[in-house]
Amino acid sequence: MRARSLSTRLLISSSIVLLLFFGVTVLVFDAVYRNLSESFIGTRLDLQVANLISASDEEPGGRLLPRDTLSEARYATVGSGLYAQIEREDGDVMWWSHSLTDTQLQLTTRLAAGKRQTRRMRLPDGSEVQALSVGLEWQFPRRKTYNFIYTVAEDLKPYRAELQHIRQQLFGWFAGLMALLLVALAILLRWVLRPVRQVEQEIEAIEAGRANELHGDYPRELAGITANMNALLRAERERLVRYRDSLGNLAHSLKTPLAVARSLASTPQLQEQITRMDEIVRYQLKRAAMSGGTGLGNAPVDVKEIIEPLCAALTKVYAERRLDLQSEIEPNVRYVGDKGDLMEIAGNLLDNACKWCRKQVKITVRTLVTPGTRREGIVIAVEDDGSGIAADQRERVLKRGARLDERVSGQGIGLSVVHEIAHLSGGGVEIDTSVLGGCKITVRLPAP
Amino acid sequence: MHVLVVEDEQELRDSLAAQLKAAGFTVDCAADGVEGLYQGKEFTFDLAVVDLGLPKLSGMEVIKQLRAAGKKMPILILTARDRWQDKVEGLQAGADDYVAKPFHFEELLARVQALLRRSGGWAQSVLRCGPIALDSRTQQVTVNDTPIELTSFEYKILEQLMLRAGEVLSKTDITESLYEQDFDRDSNTIEVFVGRLRRKLDPDNVIKPIETLRGRGYRLSLPRATA
Repeated sequence: MRARSLSTRLLISSSIVLLLFFGVTVLVFDAVYRNLSESFIGTRLDLQVANLISASDEEPGGRLLPRDTLSEARYATVGSGLYAQIEREDGDVMWWSHSLTDTQLQLTTRLAAGKRQTRRMRLPDGSEVQALSVGLEWQFPRRKTYNFIYTVAEDLKPYRAELQHIRQQLFGWFAGLMALLLVALAILLRWVLRPVRQVEQEIEAIEAGRANELHGDYPRELAGITANMNALLRAERERLVRYRDSLGNLAHSLKTPLAVARSLASTPQLQEQITRMDEIVRYQLKRAAMSGGTGLGNAPVDVKEIIEPLCAALTKVYAERRLDLQSEIEPNVRYVGDKGDLMEIAGNLLDNACKWCRKQVKITVRTLVTPGTRREGIVIAVEDDGSGIAADQRERVLKRGARLDERVSGQGIGLSVVHEIAHLSGGGVEIDTSVLGGCKITVRLPAP
Repeated sequence: MHVLVVEDEQELRDSLAAQLKAAGFTVDCAADGVEGLYQGKEFTFDLAVVDLGLPKLSGMEVIKQLRAAGKKMPILILTARDRWQDKVEGLQAGADDYVAKPFHFEELLARVQALLRRSGGWAQSVLRCGPIALDSRTQQVTVNDTPIELTSFEYKILEQLMLRAGEVLSKTDITESLYEQDFDRDSNTIEVFVGRLRRKLDPDNVIKPIETLRGRGYRLSLPRATA
C-alpha cells in the first residue's frame, strides 16, 4: 500500500485529537450543567415549602390551612406543574393545591418531624416530577402539638427541555468551532506544505521533460535535498555527455589504426582478426554509450524529428535502389529518454531493413501506455518485404555479432545493440513476419 | 575520375590513394580540414572522400563549406564514430554516403563507383549507350557485345563521357579528371586520345559515338539505355 500523503496524515491525526478534546469538553460541560440545574430545583422546592409553611394558619381541630393570600398562582391552575399538599401525621390531608386535580399524583408519605425527603415520581403521562417533603411539629394553643408533612412537587419537564436546549447549543457551538479549526488547519497545512508540493510539481515537470532542474526558492529544511537533487541531475547529464565524448574519441583512435591495419593486412586470416576486433570494439563502445537511463532532466524527444532525418539519410544512402521508405508516426509521439538511444534503435532497424528488403520498408511508431505510470513509452515497428527471418533463427540473431548471411555488407551487431538498449529500458524486441512479406521487428520502450 | 581524399592518418591516406589509383582513379590528398577545404574549393573533383575526425577543421565543417561554396560533387564520409547521430548529421550536412572505419577497400570502391554513377544519373553498374557498354566494376568495355581493349587513359576518357552521356565536356573537364594538380597538362593529348578512342570503338565510322563541338568540347551523343 502506498503511504498516505503528508497533508492527509496531518489532517487525520489533528481531526482525531480535536474530536477527543471537544468530546471530553462537551461531556464535562454537560455534567456540570446537569448538577447545577438539579441543585437549583432543590433550592426552589425548599423555598416553596418555606413559603407554604409561613403562609399556614391554624384552624380549629388542630388543622393547618394556607392563607387565602398565598401568592403562588400556579397552585390554583390545573396542570401548572407545581403541586403542594399539607398532611397531618395521622394521614389526614389538610389541604392540597388545585393544580393536583386529575393528575393522580400521590404525594402522601410518612415522615417524622424534622426530617426531609426528596423523591422522584413519574406521572402516567410519562413526565417526571421532583417532590420535597418536610416533616414538622406544630404547636397549637393549649399546648397541643401535631406533626405535619409539607410536600411540594415540581414538574421536571421545563428543566429537561432547558437542559436539552443548552446541550444542543453547546454541541452546535463546539461543532462549529471544530469545523472552523479544521478549516484553519487545512489552510495552514497548505501554506506549510506548499514548498513540498512545489518540489513535487517540479519533479513532475522534470519527469515530463518540461524542466531540467528544480528552480524554486526552498525553505532551509528542503533546500539541502533540492540542491543535491539538482547537482545529481546535472552530474548525470554531464557524465553521459563526457562519457560519450570520450567513447567517441576512443572509437576514433582505435578505428583509424584498425583501418590502416586492414589496408595493410595481406592474408584473409589477418583480415578476419581485424573484423573480429572491429566488431568487439563497435559492440562494446555502443553498449557503453547506451544511456538506458531514466531520461530525467532530458526534454522528451519528438520522435518525428528523429525518424524523419534518419529516413531522409537512408533514402540518400540507398538512392540507387530506389526504395519505398514509408514512415507512419503517430502525431506528437514523444520519447522520454535519451535521443542517442532512440536514434541507434531506429537507425539500426531501418538500415537492416533497407539492406534486406526488395523495395519496401515501413516504420511505424506509436505510444505505449503502461498502466500505473505517469509517462508513456513508445513502440517502434520496422518491416520490410525481404525474405524475413526464419522462426528458428530469431532467437539467435538477437545475440551479439550473429550473422545469418554474409552476403550483405554491414555488421551483425545492429540487432543485438537494439536488443540491449530495449532491455536496458525495460522493454523488449520481437521478431515476426510482416504483412509486407519480410520480417517485422517490434521494439517496445516503456516509460522509465 | 578525379578524387579528393581528406584523411589525417598518413598510412591510411597513402594506402587509400594507392588503391584508388590502382583502380584507375586520379587522386589528390589533403591531410587536414583546412587543406581539404582549400583543395575542394579551388579545383574540380568528381568525388571527395572525407574523414569526419580531421584536425584544424572538422570533416562536417569541410562538407558544409564545400556545399555552401556551391560544390556539387558526391562526398563520401569516412567515420570512426559510427553513431547514427553522426551519420545523419553528416548526410544532412551534404554528404551522400558513409563508410565506417575500418572498411574493406572493395566496399569503399563500390560506394565510390555507385556515387559517381548516381551523380551522372545512372542507376545501374553497367553503363550502356547505344551499342557501347561499360562495366565500371570490371572496367570492361564492349561494342555490340564484342570486348574492346582500351588503355587506361582511353578507358578513363570513355568512362567520363559515358557517365555524363548527353552533356558537353570541355577539354579542361577531361584533363582535370585525368591528371593530378601538379601535372604538366597539354590539351593536345586529349585530342589524340579521343581520336584513338573513336577508331577503337568505331573502326568503320558507322556509330559515330563521340561528337566534337568546336571550341566547347566533346559529347557522347548515343542514347542512354535505361535497363
